[in-house]
Amino acid sequence: MAASEAAAKVQEVREVTRIERIGAHSHIRGLGLDDALEPRQVSQGMVGQLAARRAAGVILEMIKEGKIAGRAVLIGGQPGTGKTAIAMGMAQALGQDTPFTAMAGSEIFSLEMSKTEALTQAFRKSIGIRIKEETEIIEGEVVEVQIDRPATGTGAKVGKLTLKTTEMETIYDLGTKMIESLTKEKVAAGDIITIDKATGKITKLGRSFTRARDYDAMGPQTKFVQCPEGELQKRKEVVHTVTLHEIDVINSRTQGFLALFSGDTGEIKSEVREQINAKVAEWREEGKADIVPGVLFIDEVHMLDIECFSFLNRALENDMAPILIMATNRGITRIRGTNYKSPHGIPIDLLDRLLIVSTSPYSEKEIRQILTIRCEEEDVEMSDDATTILTKIGMETSLRYSIQLITAANLVCRKRKGTEVSVDDIKRVYSLFLDELRSTQFLKEYQQEFMFNEMTDTEQMETS
Amino acid sequence: MTVGTMARDPNFVLGYLTQVEEIAEEILTDKRQIVDLDKKRNAAREALRCLKKEEQAVTKGGKAWVCFGDMFVKIPKETATNMLETDQKQLDSEIDRLRDGLQPKVSKLRDMESKPELKGFGLQPLSKEEANIFKP
Repeated sequence: MAASEAAAKVQEVREVTRIERIGAHSHIRGLGLDDALEPRQVSQGMVGQLAARRAAGVILEMIKEGKIAGRAVLIGGQPGTGKTAIAMGMAQALGQDTPFTAMAGSEIFSLEMSKTEALTQAFRKSIGIRIKEETEIIEGEVVEVQIDRPATGTGAKVGKLTLKTTEMETIYDLGTKMIESLTKEKVAAGDIITIDKATGKITKLGRSFTRARDYDAMGPQTKFVQCPEGELQKRKEVVHTVTLHEIDVINSRTQGFLALFSGDTGEIKSEVREQINAKVAEWREEGKADIVPGVLFIDEVHMLDIECFSFLNRALENDMAPILIMATNRGITRIRGTNYKSPHGIPIDLLDRLLIVSTSPYSEKEIRQILTIRCEEEDVEMSDDATTILTKIGMETSLRYSIQLITAANLVCRKRKGTEVSVDDIKRVYSLFLDELRSTQFLKEYQQEFMFNEMTDTEQMETS
Repeated sequence: MTVGTMARDPNFVLGYLTQVEEIAEEILTDKRQIVDLDKKRNAAREALRCLKKEEQAVTKGGKAWVCFGDMFVKIPKETATNMLETDQKQLDSEIDRLRDGLQPKVSKLRDMESKPELKGFGLQPLSKEEANIFKP
Protein backbone atom coordinates (compact mmCIF):
# COMPACT_ATOMS: atom_id res chain seq x y z
CA MET A 1 0.00 0.00 0.00
CA ALA A 2 2.61 2.46 1.12
CA ALA A 3 4.85 1.36 -1.70
CA SER A 4 2.20 2.01 -4.32
CA GLU A 5 1.55 5.43 -2.83
CA ALA A 6 5.22 6.24 -3.02
CA ALA A 7 5.30 5.07 -6.62
CA ALA A 8 2.39 7.36 -7.44
CA LYS A 9 4.20 10.26 -5.87
CA VAL A 10 7.33 9.60 -7.86
CA GLN A 11 5.18 9.53 -10.96
CA GLU A 12 3.77 12.95 -10.12
CA VAL A 13 7.16 14.49 -9.61
CA ARG A 14 8.36 13.17 -12.94
CA GLU A 15 5.31 14.59 -14.66
CA VAL A 16 6.16 18.10 -13.58
CA THR A 17 9.75 17.98 -14.80
CA ARG A 18 8.56 16.58 -18.11
CA ILE A 19 6.15 19.42 -18.68
CA GLU A 20 8.77 21.97 -17.78
CA ARG A 21 11.20 20.53 -20.22
CA ILE A 22 9.03 20.89 -23.32
CA GLY A 23 10.23 24.12 -24.82
CA ALA A 24 8.42 26.21 -27.37
CA HIS A 25 10.59 24.78 -30.15
CA SER A 26 11.37 21.34 -28.79
CA HIS A 27 9.63 19.67 -31.74
CA ILE A 28 12.17 20.94 -34.25
CA ARG A 29 14.66 18.36 -35.52
CA GLY A 30 16.05 20.11 -38.55
CA LEU A 31 15.12 22.28 -41.47
CA GLY A 32 13.06 19.61 -43.23
CA LEU A 33 14.89 19.76 -46.55
CA ASP A 34 15.56 16.92 -48.96
CA ASP A 35 18.95 16.22 -50.55
CA ALA A 36 18.36 18.77 -53.30
CA LEU A 37 17.69 21.41 -50.62
CA GLU A 38 14.01 21.49 -51.59
CA PRO A 39 11.86 22.04 -48.52
CA ARG A 40 9.18 19.45 -47.77
CA GLN A 41 5.84 20.92 -46.74
CA VAL A 42 5.86 19.22 -43.34
CA SER A 43 9.06 17.61 -42.10
CA GLN A 44 11.26 17.48 -39.00
CA GLY A 45 8.77 19.62 -37.14
CA MET A 46 8.87 22.42 -39.69
CA VAL A 47 5.74 23.60 -41.49
CA GLY A 48 5.45 26.05 -44.38
CA GLN A 49 7.89 29.00 -44.73
CA LEU A 50 9.24 27.21 -47.78
CA ALA A 51 11.23 30.12 -49.20
CA ALA A 52 12.85 30.98 -45.89
CA ARG A 53 13.70 27.34 -45.21
CA ARG A 54 15.27 26.90 -48.61
CA ALA A 55 17.33 30.05 -48.03
CA ALA A 56 18.41 28.70 -44.66
CA GLY A 57 19.38 25.44 -46.36
CA VAL A 58 21.57 27.30 -48.84
CA ILE A 59 23.22 29.16 -45.99
CA LEU A 60 23.85 25.84 -44.25
CA GLU A 61 25.62 24.54 -47.36
CA MET A 62 27.77 27.66 -47.35
CA ILE A 63 28.59 27.12 -43.70
CA LYS A 64 29.55 23.49 -44.34
CA GLU A 65 31.87 24.58 -47.14
CA GLY A 66 33.30 27.28 -44.92
CA LYS A 67 32.38 30.12 -47.21
CA ILE A 68 30.54 32.38 -44.85
CA ALA A 69 33.27 34.00 -42.80
CA GLY A 70 32.64 37.60 -41.90
CA ARG A 71 28.98 37.48 -42.72
CA ALA A 72 25.80 36.94 -40.84
CA VAL A 73 22.18 36.11 -41.35
CA LEU A 74 19.18 38.23 -40.51
CA ILE A 75 15.75 36.67 -40.29
CA GLY A 76 13.05 39.30 -40.48
CA GLY A 77 9.34 38.79 -40.16
CA GLN A 78 6.22 39.43 -38.15
CA PRO A 79 5.90 38.00 -34.63
CA GLY A 80 5.07 34.30 -34.54
CA THR A 81 6.21 33.40 -38.05
CA GLY A 82 8.87 30.90 -37.08
CA LYS A 83 12.08 32.96 -36.90
CA THR A 84 13.39 31.18 -33.83
CA ALA A 85 12.21 27.87 -35.27
CA ILE A 86 14.34 28.35 -38.38
CA ALA A 87 17.40 29.28 -36.31
CA MET A 88 16.87 26.17 -34.15
CA GLY A 89 16.46 24.06 -37.26
CA MET A 90 19.74 25.32 -38.66
CA ALA A 91 21.55 24.47 -35.46
CA GLN A 92 20.03 20.98 -35.40
CA ALA A 93 20.96 20.39 -39.03
CA LEU A 94 24.58 21.38 -38.39
CA GLY A 95 25.06 18.30 -36.27
CA GLN A 96 24.85 17.12 -32.71
CA ASP A 97 27.88 18.70 -31.18
CA THR A 98 27.56 22.05 -32.90
CA PRO A 99 27.27 24.66 -30.18
CA PHE A 100 24.11 26.68 -30.37
CA THR A 101 23.69 29.75 -28.20
CA ALA A 102 20.40 31.56 -28.14
CA MET A 103 20.12 34.93 -26.50
CA ALA A 104 17.74 37.83 -26.55
CA GLY A 105 19.07 41.22 -27.53
CA SER A 106 18.20 42.69 -24.17
CA GLU A 107 20.28 40.12 -22.29
CA ILE A 108 23.46 42.08 -22.84
CA PHE A 109 22.30 44.96 -20.66
CA SER A 110 23.56 43.95 -17.26
CA LEU A 111 25.01 45.81 -14.32
CA GLU A 112 27.72 43.23 -13.76
CA MET A 113 29.46 43.33 -17.08
CA SER A 114 29.83 45.61 -20.02
CA LYS A 115 27.83 45.11 -23.17
CA THR A 116 30.85 44.09 -25.20
CA GLU A 117 31.90 41.57 -22.54
CA ALA A 118 28.47 39.98 -22.69
CA LEU A 119 28.68 39.81 -26.46
CA THR A 120 32.20 38.39 -26.38
CA GLN A 121 31.07 35.70 -23.97
CA ALA A 122 28.15 34.87 -26.22
CA PHE A 123 30.50 34.63 -29.20
CA ARG A 124 32.87 32.34 -27.35
CA LYS A 125 30.02 30.17 -26.12
CA SER A 126 29.26 29.46 -29.76
CA ILE A 127 32.71 28.24 -30.75
CA GLY A 128 33.44 24.64 -29.95
CA ILE A 129 36.84 22.97 -29.69
CA ARG A 130 36.96 19.26 -30.40
CA ILE A 131 39.77 17.36 -28.73
CA LYS A 132 40.72 13.77 -28.17
CA GLU A 133 42.11 12.19 -25.02
CA GLU A 134 43.67 8.78 -25.11
CA THR A 135 44.30 6.57 -22.13
CA GLU A 136 45.43 3.02 -21.63
CA ILE A 137 43.26 1.43 -19.00
CA ILE A 138 42.75 -1.94 -17.43
CA GLU A 139 39.05 -2.57 -17.08
CA GLY A 140 37.45 -5.59 -15.53
CA GLU A 141 35.37 -7.18 -12.81
CA VAL A 142 37.17 -7.95 -9.58
CA VAL A 143 37.07 -11.69 -8.94
CA GLU A 144 39.24 -11.66 -5.86
CA VAL A 145 41.37 -9.28 -3.85
CA GLN A 146 43.88 -10.91 -1.59
CA ILE A 147 46.03 -8.81 0.67
CA ASP A 148 48.70 -10.37 2.90
CA ARG A 149 49.75 -8.45 5.94
CA PRO A 150 53.22 -9.33 7.17
CA ALA A 151 53.22 -11.25 10.44
CA THR A 152 55.41 -8.70 12.17
CA GLY A 153 52.75 -6.03 11.68
CA THR A 154 55.05 -3.61 9.91
CA GLY A 155 56.70 -3.85 6.54
CA ALA A 156 55.53 -3.96 2.97
CA LYS A 157 52.16 -5.48 2.24
CA VAL A 158 51.81 -7.71 -0.76
CA GLY A 159 48.68 -8.83 -2.50
CA LYS A 160 47.00 -10.21 -5.56
CA LEU A 161 44.14 -8.90 -7.63
CA THR A 162 42.21 -11.15 -9.99
CA LEU A 163 40.33 -9.35 -12.75
CA LYS A 164 38.13 -10.74 -15.50
CA THR A 165 36.14 -9.70 -18.52
CA THR A 166 33.62 -11.84 -20.34
CA GLU A 167 36.51 -13.23 -22.39
CA MET A 168 39.46 -13.64 -20.05
CA GLU A 169 40.81 -13.59 -16.53
CA THR A 170 44.21 -12.72 -15.09
CA ILE A 171 46.06 -12.16 -11.84
CA TYR A 172 48.00 -9.02 -11.00
CA ASP A 173 50.58 -8.80 -8.24
CA LEU A 174 50.05 -5.71 -6.14
CA GLY A 175 52.53 -3.34 -4.55
CA THR A 176 52.00 -1.21 -1.47
CA LYS A 177 50.76 1.83 -3.42
CA MET A 178 48.10 -0.12 -5.29
CA ILE A 179 46.95 -1.87 -2.14
CA GLU A 180 46.53 1.48 -0.46
CA SER A 181 44.40 2.91 -3.23
CA LEU A 182 42.37 -0.29 -3.45
CA THR A 183 41.53 -0.07 0.24
CA LYS A 184 40.82 3.63 -0.09
CA GLU A 185 38.33 2.98 -2.89
CA LYS A 186 36.89 0.07 -0.84
CA VAL A 187 37.21 -2.30 -3.78
CA ALA A 188 35.72 -5.73 -3.12
CA ALA A 189 35.04 -8.83 -5.19
CA GLY A 190 32.21 -8.14 -7.63
CA ASP A 191 33.11 -4.52 -8.31
CA ILE A 192 33.82 -3.31 -11.82
CA ILE A 193 36.91 -1.12 -11.77
CA THR A 194 39.21 0.66 -14.18
CA ILE A 195 42.88 1.27 -13.55
CA ASP A 196 44.61 4.04 -15.46
CA LYS A 197 47.86 2.54 -16.71
CA ALA A 198 49.83 5.77 -16.66
CA THR A 199 48.83 7.08 -13.23
CA GLY A 200 47.59 3.95 -11.49
CA LYS A 201 44.40 5.71 -10.51
CA ILE A 202 41.57 3.33 -9.64
CA THR A 203 37.99 4.21 -10.46
CA LYS A 204 35.02 2.17 -9.33
CA LEU A 205 32.37 1.96 -12.03
CA GLY A 206 29.83 -0.05 -10.06
CA ARG A 207 28.92 -3.59 -9.11
CA SER A 208 28.52 -6.46 -11.50
CA PHE A 209 24.97 -7.49 -12.38
CA THR A 210 25.81 -11.09 -11.60
CA ARG A 211 26.48 -10.06 -8.00
CA ALA A 212 23.18 -8.21 -7.65
CA ARG A 213 21.84 -10.87 -5.26
CA ASP A 214 24.90 -10.95 -3.01
CA TYR A 215 23.33 -8.81 -0.31
CA ASP A 216 19.77 -8.10 0.71
CA ALA A 217 20.34 -4.50 1.74
CA MET A 218 22.45 -1.99 -0.07
CA GLY A 219 22.76 1.74 -0.35
CA PRO A 220 20.83 3.69 -2.98
CA GLN A 221 24.08 4.75 -4.63
CA THR A 222 24.98 1.19 -5.59
CA LYS A 223 25.11 1.12 -9.36
CA PHE A 224 24.97 -2.10 -11.32
CA VAL A 225 26.91 -2.47 -14.55
CA GLN A 226 27.57 -5.26 -17.00
CA CYS A 227 30.82 -7.17 -16.83
CA PRO A 228 33.10 -5.56 -19.45
CA GLU A 229 33.64 -7.33 -22.76
CA GLY A 230 36.79 -7.99 -24.74
CA GLU A 231 40.35 -7.47 -23.66
CA LEU A 232 41.42 -6.40 -20.18
CA GLN A 233 43.92 -3.80 -21.21
CA LYS A 234 42.09 -1.35 -23.42
CA ARG A 235 42.90 1.80 -25.22
CA LYS A 236 40.20 4.30 -24.49
CA GLU A 237 39.71 7.28 -26.75
CA VAL A 238 37.39 10.03 -25.71
CA VAL A 239 36.45 12.86 -28.01
CA HIS A 240 34.72 15.82 -26.52
CA THR A 241 33.67 19.23 -27.62
CA VAL A 242 33.98 22.11 -25.22
CA THR A 243 33.26 25.73 -25.92
CA LEU A 244 35.90 28.43 -25.74
CA HIS A 245 33.86 30.13 -23.04
CA GLU A 246 34.05 27.05 -20.82
CA ILE A 247 37.83 26.99 -21.14
CA ASP A 248 37.90 30.71 -20.37
CA VAL A 249 35.90 30.24 -17.19
CA ILE A 250 37.89 27.24 -16.00
CA ASN A 251 41.14 29.11 -16.49
CA SER A 252 40.15 32.46 -15.07
CA ARG A 253 41.48 31.82 -11.61
CA THR A 254 39.37 34.41 -9.85
CA GLN A 255 36.44 32.06 -9.41
CA GLY A 256 37.26 28.77 -10.99
CA PHE A 257 34.93 26.37 -12.63
CA LEU A 258 32.15 26.76 -10.06
CA ALA A 259 31.22 29.90 -11.94
CA LEU A 260 30.15 27.64 -14.80
CA PHE A 261 27.30 26.36 -12.70
CA SER A 262 26.35 29.50 -10.84
CA GLY A 263 26.42 31.43 -14.07
CA ASP A 264 27.91 34.62 -12.68
CA THR A 265 31.24 34.54 -14.39
CA GLY A 266 31.91 38.24 -14.21
CA GLU A 267 34.33 39.74 -16.66
CA ILE A 268 37.11 37.56 -17.99
CA LYS A 269 40.53 39.14 -18.47
CA SER A 270 41.58 39.59 -22.06
CA GLU A 271 45.01 38.11 -21.26
CA VAL A 272 43.36 34.81 -20.33
CA ARG A 273 41.49 34.80 -23.61
CA GLU A 274 44.60 35.61 -25.60
CA GLN A 275 46.52 32.77 -23.97
CA ILE A 276 43.74 30.33 -24.69
CA ASN A 277 43.46 31.52 -28.28
CA ALA A 278 47.18 31.00 -28.75
CA LYS A 279 47.06 27.52 -27.22
CA VAL A 280 44.09 26.49 -29.35
CA ALA A 281 45.73 27.83 -32.50
CA GLU A 282 48.84 25.84 -31.67
CA TRP A 283 46.88 22.62 -31.19
CA ARG A 284 45.04 23.22 -34.40
CA GLU A 285 48.37 23.47 -36.21
CA GLU A 286 49.54 20.22 -34.62
CA GLY A 287 46.35 18.42 -35.55
CA LYS A 288 45.34 18.06 -31.91
CA ALA A 289 42.16 20.09 -32.02
CA ASP A 290 39.36 20.91 -34.39
CA ILE A 291 37.46 24.13 -34.28
CA VAL A 292 33.72 23.70 -34.52
CA PRO A 293 32.12 27.01 -35.41
CA GLY A 294 28.66 27.05 -33.89
CA VAL A 295 25.67 29.28 -34.23
CA LEU A 296 24.99 32.37 -32.19
CA PHE A 297 21.37 33.38 -32.38
CA ILE A 298 20.42 36.85 -31.22
CA ASP A 299 16.69 37.30 -30.99
CA GLU A 300 15.13 40.78 -30.91
CA VAL A 301 18.31 42.19 -32.36
CA HIS A 302 16.80 45.69 -32.59
CA MET A 303 17.33 45.91 -28.83
CA LEU A 304 21.10 46.19 -29.39
CA ASP A 305 22.46 49.70 -29.55
CA ILE A 306 24.88 51.35 -31.93
CA GLU A 307 27.95 50.39 -29.89
CA CYS A 308 27.03 46.73 -30.02
CA PHE A 309 26.48 46.90 -33.74
CA SER A 310 29.91 48.32 -34.36
CA PHE A 311 31.36 45.63 -32.10
CA LEU A 312 29.56 42.96 -34.14
CA ASN A 313 30.92 44.45 -37.34
CA ARG A 314 34.42 43.99 -35.99
CA ALA A 315 33.87 40.61 -34.36
CA LEU A 316 32.52 39.06 -37.55
CA GLU A 317 35.87 39.52 -39.23
CA ASN A 318 37.65 37.23 -36.78
CA ASP A 319 38.61 33.94 -38.42
CA MET A 320 37.15 31.96 -35.53
CA ALA A 321 33.82 33.78 -35.57
CA PRO A 322 30.71 31.63 -35.26
CA ILE A 323 27.79 31.95 -37.62
CA LEU A 324 25.71 34.82 -36.39
CA ILE A 325 21.98 34.62 -36.92
CA MET A 326 19.87 37.56 -35.89
CA ALA A 327 16.13 37.88 -35.82
CA THR A 328 13.95 40.92 -35.59
CA ASN A 329 10.30 41.71 -35.95
CA ARG A 330 10.72 45.42 -36.54
CA GLY A 331 10.39 47.34 -39.79
CA ILE A 332 12.04 50.69 -40.38
CA THR A 333 12.78 52.00 -36.94
CA ARG A 334 15.18 54.06 -34.87
CA ILE A 335 18.62 52.53 -34.22
CA ARG A 336 18.94 52.32 -30.47
CA GLY A 337 21.33 54.92 -29.10
CA THR A 338 20.99 57.24 -32.09
CA ASN A 339 18.33 59.34 -33.73
CA TYR A 340 18.74 57.73 -37.13
CA LYS A 341 16.14 55.49 -38.63
CA SER A 342 17.17 52.38 -40.49
CA PRO A 343 15.57 49.18 -41.81
CA HIS A 344 15.14 46.60 -38.99
CA GLY A 345 16.80 49.10 -36.63
CA ILE A 346 20.23 47.94 -37.83
CA PRO A 347 22.88 50.32 -39.19
CA ILE A 348 23.35 50.21 -42.97
CA ASP A 349 27.01 49.12 -42.82
CA LEU A 350 26.09 46.01 -40.83
CA LEU A 351 23.03 45.35 -42.98
CA ASP A 352 25.38 45.28 -45.94
CA ARG A 353 27.12 42.20 -44.51
CA LEU A 354 23.92 40.33 -43.83
CA LEU A 355 22.10 37.69 -45.80
CA ILE A 356 18.50 38.66 -45.20
CA VAL A 357 15.79 36.02 -45.08
CA SER A 358 12.21 36.96 -44.47
CA THR A 359 9.38 34.90 -43.10
CA SER A 360 5.73 35.43 -43.93
CA PRO A 361 2.58 34.78 -41.90
CA TYR A 362 1.30 31.19 -41.87
CA SER A 363 -1.78 30.13 -43.81
CA GLU A 364 -4.74 28.50 -42.10
CA LYS A 365 -3.71 25.02 -43.22
CA GLU A 366 -0.18 25.51 -41.93
CA ILE A 367 -1.40 26.73 -38.56
CA ARG A 368 -3.49 23.58 -38.28
CA GLN A 369 -0.45 21.43 -39.00
CA ILE A 370 1.68 23.27 -36.47
CA LEU A 371 -1.01 22.84 -33.83
CA THR A 372 -1.17 19.10 -34.60
CA ILE A 373 2.61 18.80 -34.23
CA ARG A 374 2.55 20.67 -30.94
CA CYS A 375 -0.27 18.42 -29.68
CA GLU A 376 1.90 15.42 -30.42
CA GLU A 377 4.91 17.00 -28.75
CA GLU A 378 2.94 17.80 -25.63
CA ASP A 379 1.20 14.40 -25.56
CA VAL A 380 -2.25 15.90 -25.96
CA GLU A 381 -5.08 14.08 -27.70
CA MET A 382 -7.39 16.51 -29.46
CA SER A 383 -10.58 15.97 -31.43
CA ASP A 384 -10.79 17.24 -35.02
CA ASP A 385 -13.44 19.84 -34.17
CA ALA A 386 -11.32 21.19 -31.34
CA THR A 387 -8.32 21.51 -33.66
CA THR A 388 -10.49 23.39 -36.17
CA ILE A 389 -11.66 25.81 -33.50
CA LEU A 390 -8.11 26.26 -32.24
CA THR A 391 -6.93 26.96 -35.79
CA LYS A 392 -9.63 29.65 -36.11
CA ILE A 393 -8.47 31.17 -32.85
CA GLY A 394 -4.91 31.03 -34.14
CA MET A 395 -5.88 32.87 -37.32
CA GLU A 396 -7.76 35.60 -35.48
CA THR A 397 -5.40 36.15 -32.57
CA SER A 398 -1.92 34.69 -32.79
CA LEU A 399 -0.24 31.34 -33.22
CA ARG A 400 1.50 31.63 -29.87
CA TYR A 401 -1.79 32.22 -28.07
CA SER A 402 -3.39 29.14 -29.61
CA ILE A 403 -0.34 27.00 -28.84
CA GLN A 404 -0.56 28.10 -25.23
CA LEU A 405 -4.19 27.05 -25.16
CA ILE A 406 -3.21 23.44 -25.97
CA THR A 407 -1.70 22.68 -22.57
CA ALA A 408 -4.30 24.72 -20.73
CA ALA A 409 -7.15 22.91 -22.51
CA ASN A 410 -5.49 19.59 -21.79
CA LEU A 411 -5.46 20.38 -18.08
CA VAL A 412 -9.15 21.28 -18.17
CA CYS A 413 -9.82 18.06 -20.05
CA ARG A 414 -7.95 16.02 -17.45
CA LYS A 415 -9.88 17.75 -14.65
CA ARG A 416 -13.13 16.45 -16.10
CA LYS A 417 -11.45 13.04 -16.57
CA GLY A 418 -11.74 13.18 -20.35
CA THR A 419 -9.24 11.52 -22.67
CA GLU A 420 -9.54 13.82 -25.65
CA VAL A 421 -9.63 17.61 -25.68
CA SER A 422 -13.03 18.68 -26.96
CA VAL A 423 -14.50 21.93 -28.26
CA ASP A 424 -15.92 22.69 -24.82
CA ASP A 425 -12.49 22.52 -23.22
CA ILE A 426 -11.15 24.98 -25.76
CA LYS A 427 -14.10 27.30 -25.18
CA ARG A 428 -13.53 27.18 -21.46
CA VAL A 429 -9.86 28.14 -21.62
CA TYR A 430 -10.65 30.72 -24.28
CA SER A 431 -12.95 32.42 -21.80
CA LEU A 432 -10.43 32.02 -18.97
CA PHE A 433 -7.41 33.47 -20.72
CA LEU A 434 -7.59 36.69 -22.68
CA ASP A 435 -5.66 37.12 -25.89
CA GLU A 436 -3.95 40.35 -26.72
CA LEU A 437 -6.84 41.87 -28.68
CA ARG A 438 -9.47 41.15 -26.06
CA SER A 439 -7.19 42.36 -23.32
CA THR A 440 -6.63 45.63 -25.13
CA GLN A 441 -10.33 46.02 -25.69
CA PHE A 442 -11.04 45.37 -22.05
CA LEU A 443 -8.50 47.98 -21.03
CA LYS A 444 -9.98 50.51 -23.39
CA GLU A 445 -13.48 49.95 -22.04
CA TYR A 446 -12.53 50.16 -18.40
CA GLN A 447 -9.69 52.64 -18.76
CA GLN A 448 -11.29 55.06 -16.31
CA GLU A 449 -11.44 52.60 -13.46
CA PHE A 450 -7.72 51.78 -13.45
CA MET A 451 -5.19 53.77 -11.48
CA PHE A 452 -2.98 56.49 -12.95
CA ASN A 453 -5.11 56.89 -16.04
CA GLU A 454 -4.44 60.58 -16.36
CA MET A 455 -1.78 60.03 -19.02
CA THR A 456 -2.41 61.60 -22.35
CA ASP A 457 -2.69 59.51 -25.49
CA THR A 458 0.60 60.68 -26.99
CA GLU A 459 2.61 59.62 -23.95
CA GLN A 460 1.09 56.16 -23.91
CA MET A 461 2.34 55.25 -27.35
CA GLU A 462 5.95 56.21 -26.70
CA THR A 463 7.17 52.67 -26.12
CA SER A 464 9.67 52.11 -28.86
CA MET B 1 23.23 4.32 -64.40
CA THR B 2 20.95 6.26 -62.10
CA VAL B 3 20.49 5.45 -58.47
CA GLY B 4 17.15 3.79 -59.13
CA THR B 5 18.40 1.29 -61.71
CA MET B 6 21.52 0.62 -59.64
CA ALA B 7 19.41 -0.33 -56.66
CA ARG B 8 17.41 -2.76 -58.80
CA ASP B 9 20.41 -4.41 -60.41
CA PRO B 10 20.98 -7.62 -58.43
CA ASN B 11 24.65 -7.82 -59.37
CA PHE B 12 25.31 -4.37 -58.02
CA VAL B 13 23.38 -5.03 -54.81
CA LEU B 14 25.16 -8.33 -54.28
CA GLY B 15 28.55 -6.75 -54.85
CA TYR B 16 27.79 -3.91 -52.49
CA LEU B 17 26.51 -6.18 -49.74
CA THR B 18 29.54 -8.44 -50.13
CA GLN B 19 31.85 -5.49 -49.70
CA VAL B 20 30.02 -4.32 -46.58
CA GLU B 21 30.01 -7.81 -45.09
CA GLU B 22 33.66 -8.29 -45.90
CA ILE B 23 34.80 -5.18 -44.12
CA ALA B 24 32.48 -5.82 -41.17
CA GLU B 25 33.91 -9.33 -40.90
CA GLU B 26 37.42 -7.91 -40.97
CA ILE B 27 36.60 -5.57 -38.10
CA LEU B 28 35.17 -8.38 -36.02
CA THR B 29 38.19 -10.57 -36.71
CA ASP B 30 40.56 -7.81 -35.69
CA LYS B 31 38.66 -7.25 -32.46
CA ARG B 32 38.75 -10.94 -31.69
CA GLN B 33 42.45 -11.00 -32.51
CA ILE B 34 43.12 -8.15 -30.08
CA VAL B 35 41.31 -10.03 -27.33
CA ASP B 36 43.29 -13.20 -28.02
CA LEU B 37 46.58 -11.33 -28.13
CA ASP B 38 45.76 -9.54 -24.89
CA LYS B 39 45.02 -12.91 -23.32
CA LYS B 40 48.48 -14.08 -24.38
CA ARG B 41 50.05 -10.87 -23.19
CA ASN B 42 48.53 -11.26 -19.75
CA ALA B 43 49.59 -14.90 -19.55
CA ALA B 44 53.16 -13.94 -20.47
CA ARG B 45 53.10 -11.20 -17.87
CA GLU B 46 51.96 -13.64 -15.18
CA ALA B 47 54.73 -16.04 -16.18
CA LEU B 48 57.38 -13.34 -16.07
CA ARG B 49 56.23 -12.34 -12.65
CA CYS B 50 56.40 -15.93 -11.41
CA LEU B 51 59.94 -16.32 -12.71
CA LYS B 52 61.02 -13.13 -11.03
CA LYS B 53 59.49 -14.15 -7.72
CA GLU B 54 61.24 -17.49 -7.74
CA GLU B 55 64.49 -15.78 -8.54
CA GLN B 56 64.11 -13.69 -5.41
CA ALA B 57 63.21 -16.67 -3.25
CA VAL B 58 65.74 -19.22 -4.42
CA THR B 59 69.29 -18.70 -5.53
CA LYS B 60 69.97 -17.24 -8.92
CA GLY B 61 70.16 -19.43 -11.99
CA GLY B 62 68.51 -22.81 -12.23
CA LYS B 63 65.95 -24.12 -14.62
CA ALA B 64 62.22 -23.75 -14.93
CA TRP B 65 59.42 -25.78 -16.49
CA VAL B 66 58.00 -24.08 -19.53
CA CYS B 67 54.98 -25.31 -21.47
CA PHE B 68 55.10 -25.13 -25.26
CA GLY B 69 51.73 -26.12 -26.58
CA ASP B 70 51.35 -29.66 -25.20
CA MET B 71 54.91 -30.20 -24.13
CA PHE B 72 56.67 -29.27 -20.90
CA VAL B 73 60.32 -28.41 -21.32
CA LYS B 74 62.84 -27.58 -18.68
CA ILE B 75 64.99 -24.66 -19.77
CA PRO B 76 67.28 -22.19 -18.00
CA LYS B 77 65.36 -19.36 -16.35
CA GLU B 78 67.31 -16.69 -18.14
CA THR B 79 66.42 -18.09 -21.54
CA ALA B 80 62.78 -18.37 -20.52
CA THR B 81 62.73 -14.75 -19.36
CA ASN B 82 64.32 -13.56 -22.56
CA MET B 83 61.86 -15.50 -24.66
CA LEU B 84 58.91 -14.14 -22.74
CA GLU B 85 60.19 -10.58 -22.98
CA THR B 86 60.61 -10.71 -26.74
CA ASP B 87 57.16 -12.27 -26.98
CA GLN B 88 55.77 -9.46 -24.89
CA LYS B 89 57.31 -6.81 -27.13
CA GLN B 90 55.97 -8.48 -30.25
CA LEU B 91 52.50 -8.81 -28.75
CA ASP B 92 52.48 -5.15 -27.76
CA SER B 93 53.42 -3.95 -31.22
CA GLU B 94 50.96 -6.33 -32.86
CA ILE B 95 48.09 -5.11 -30.68
CA ASP B 96 48.99 -1.51 -31.39
CA ARG B 97 49.11 -2.22 -35.11
CA LEU B 98 45.66 -3.83 -35.03
CA ARG B 99 44.20 -0.98 -33.01
CA ASP B 100 45.56 1.64 -35.36
CA GLY B 101 44.15 -0.26 -38.31
CA LEU B 102 40.72 -0.59 -36.73
CA GLN B 103 39.88 3.09 -36.94
CA PRO B 104 40.08 3.58 -40.71
CA LYS B 105 38.21 0.31 -41.19
CA VAL B 106 35.35 1.41 -38.97
CA SER B 107 35.08 4.77 -40.69
CA LYS B 108 35.12 3.05 -44.07
CA LEU B 109 32.30 0.77 -42.96
CA ARG B 110 30.27 3.69 -41.68
CA ASP B 111 30.87 5.47 -44.95
CA MET B 112 29.64 2.45 -46.93
CA GLU B 113 26.57 2.15 -44.76
CA SER B 114 26.05 5.90 -45.33
CA LYS B 115 26.09 6.59 -41.61
CA PRO B 116 27.42 9.94 -40.42
CA GLU B 117 31.18 10.09 -40.02
CA LEU B 118 32.52 9.86 -36.48
CA LYS B 119 34.23 13.16 -35.95
CA GLY B 120 37.31 13.83 -33.89
CA PHE B 121 38.82 10.35 -33.76
CA GLY B 122 41.38 11.31 -36.37
CA LEU B 123 42.84 13.93 -34.06
CA GLN B 124 46.16 13.60 -32.30
CA PRO B 125 45.53 12.90 -28.63
CA LEU B 126 46.29 15.60 -26.10
CA SER B 127 48.90 14.79 -23.53
CA LYS B 128 48.02 14.72 -19.84
CA GLU B 129 49.49 18.16 -19.18
CA GLU B 130 47.76 19.67 -22.15
CA ALA B 131 44.40 18.25 -21.11
CA ASN B 132 44.77 19.97 -17.75
CA ILE B 133 43.57 23.20 -19.31
CA PHE B 134 40.09 21.66 -19.41
CA LYS B 135 40.19 20.48 -15.86
CA PRO B 136 39.56 22.79 -12.95
